[in-house]
Amino acid sequence: MKKAFLVGKWEYLEKVKTKTFLISLILTPIIIILFSIAPTLLSKQIENSTKPIGVIDSSGLYFNYLRQLVDRFRLANGQPNYILINLTDNSQKLFQTQSNAEEYVLSGKIDAFLVIKNGGTNSIKAEIKSNNTLEPDDILRLKYAVEMAKNNFILSKEGISASIRNSISEGIDFKVIKINDGKRGNSQDFSMLFLSTFVYILLLTMMILTSGGMLIRSLVEEKSNRLIEILISSCTPDELLTGKIIGLSSLGLTQVIIWTLIAISIAILGYIPLQVFNNLIPVFIYFILGFIFYTAIFVGIGSIVSSEQEAQQITSYLSFVLILPIVLTVPALENPNSMFVHILSVIPFTIPSIMILRFNIGNVPPLEVIASSIIMLISIYTVVGMSSKIFHIGILSYGKRPSLKEIIEWIK
Amino acid sequence: MLRVENLTKKFKDSVAVDNISFDVIRGRIFGLLGPNGAGKTTTIRTILNILKPTSGTITFDGKLISNEIFNIIGYLPEERGLYKKSKALDVITYFARLKNLSKVKAEDESKFWMEKLEIKNLANKRLEELSKGNQQKIQFICAVVHNPEILILDEPFSGFDPINQETIKDILLSFTNAGKIIILCTHQMETAEKLCSDIFLIDKGKEVCSGSLVEVKKSFGGNLVKVEFSGDGSFLSSLPEVININSYNNYAEIELREDVKPYEFLRLLVTKIIVTHFSIVEPTLNKIFIDAIKNRHQSKTINTAK
Repeated sequence: MKKAFLVGKWEYLEKVKTKTFLISLILTPIIIILFSIAPTLLSKQIENSTKPIGVIDSSGLYFNYLRQLVDRFRLANGQPNYILINLTDNSQKLFQTQSNAEEYVLSGKIDAFLVIKNGGTNSIKAEIKSNNTLEPDDILRLKYAVEMAKNNFILSKEGISASIRNSISEGIDFKVIKINDGKRGNSQDFSMLFLSTFVYILLLTMMILTSGGMLIRSLVEEKSNRLIEILISSCTPDELLTGKIIGLSSLGLTQVIIWTLIAISIAILGYIPLQVFNNLIPVFIYFILGFIFYTAIFVGIGSIVSSEQEAQQITSYLSFVLILPIVLTVPALENPNSMFVHILSVIPFTIPSIMILRFNIGNVPPLEVIASSIIMLISIYTVVGMSSKIFHIGILSYGKRPSLKEIIEWIK
Repeated sequence: MLRVENLTKKFKDSVAVDNISFDVIRGRIFGLLGPNGAGKTTTIRTILNILKPTSGTITFDGKLISNEIFNIIGYLPEERGLYKKSKALDVITYFARLKNLSKVKAEDESKFWMEKLEIKNLANKRLEELSKGNQQKIQFICAVVHNPEILILDEPFSGFDPINQETIKDILLSFTNAGKIIILCTHQMETAEKLCSDIFLIDKGKEVCSGSLVEVKKSFGGNLVKVEFSGDGSFLSSLPEVININSYNNYAEIELREDVKPYEFLRLLVTKIIVTHFSIVEPTLNKIFIDAIKNRHQSKTINTAK
């Protein structure tokens, strides 16, 4: 074991000094911050302008009330979010008015227009026609306004007083509150939830890919110049393999610690809420488990390839598996109790990311935590064993890449 | 003594080494020679305990080799190259540490060897910045830094200029004086001829010939003599002892019948002409190598000279 630590120390010290490591250390968080914050910033930018919206209300019963209602929606700078323009022209036929309004939308004078039909009855109908600047949020608000206007009209017909009608139309302060282990819940924004989960998984993936790539490159180098033979005439292949995993895991740990420090300092500066770090310990544990698991796989792969190109080819296949949980983040967040989330919680390839995700959403039953950890530990044990067998033979075979059949024979 | 007995190594569909045996004696350089793909590397790997033999044994001083051999063996592979981005002294110290030297000892020995090979000033340079010759030196140091009892060198001289070749040769000779076991793999027959006391010629996994250099040469030597003389040598070609002759004015290369002793032939000559120079021509190792391998390939019969 002493020699394994020597190898580990060497691998760690030699890699920690490389430019690749430094770049991935600094660049990864920067890229992630850019990618995750930039879209929010961009969409906020658009929200800075007031949207002109036409209204065609031939009954004339709703326009004033609608205008009053949408006035409560304000932009960040205090300007109204929408301006309602009355396009109703009862001297024309409705279709004529509508086609005029369409012209206005196309020429950009207004962003959309609302048509209210069957005004005055209990079954009014509404249509909204818009260009593409209208966001789902805008439509929800307009729909809400029309519904309120309809209710208001019916209630006033029934003789309900204006003060009661106003209190009905008053919006509700609707907060989303997450419950954690019976502790007092914290209100948390869904987008923040998504962001932190997404960032954790992305960091894990990037970390595995960069260090896995480094591992394969160094193995290919050692194989091609026969350094590997000097190494295994100095220690056993198992010691070498263990050493490499130790070295690389320490490298990963260094990265995680530095990233955590960066994130905490950003949080302290107030850019992200501290509750993002509520689950730091389980996230950390699954991070390490996932990292060791994939590192062991990379060792096995690295020992069968003999050129950089081959290595890249295989790495790209593995990246697909790694990227999968990222793609699944959104559906899993929306549906944390769905079947497929539970299935992914027992597959070693996806356990780390999925469990990080689930811890972030809320409670994970202890049984599942224990089960997934045990699966992870068994998988690591198995993969290390298999990789070690492949490694034993692979490092001494050059030239042609072994076929899958041969590799299976080695593992036996 | 390192003894290889009936070593056979089979891979899935080929026999890389087929029942070979040899002894490597302390203080004598042992030349393991053979064309490419002959089974040299496989033999070396089994001695290094990287590969397990299919059958046969390898013993060192009577004990079967095991992982204990790691710390007493030094290996210089044919393909060169080290960690390019790392610093020279760091790399040497790392390999010394892997051979179980203490930290202090590893650093001391590394510095000692760098000084000995006159590259002390390069200690903190990255390997990729060094010339090829200097990289070679560092690789050589990596193989010997832990003062191994067994040293296996694959083409140790390739890539060195004549001056450095001389330096390496001197170091190897000093190792033989220290009683080390040295196995030298090379294609440079001239080097092997100068350095090796014993040789083992292998082809397609099988032994072609082996023994001390003197024995091997003797067994491969045709009965060839070289004569320089004054007087009329025209009678030479008609002598019954002569099979073949290459004659010039005052010089002749003569192939004698196998049963003719060269010194008796000399006695005959001095009665007829004035002999100014007479020598028995030994075949060079190069010629033996080429002949032996060619013969084998042509006749497919094993030419054992032992």
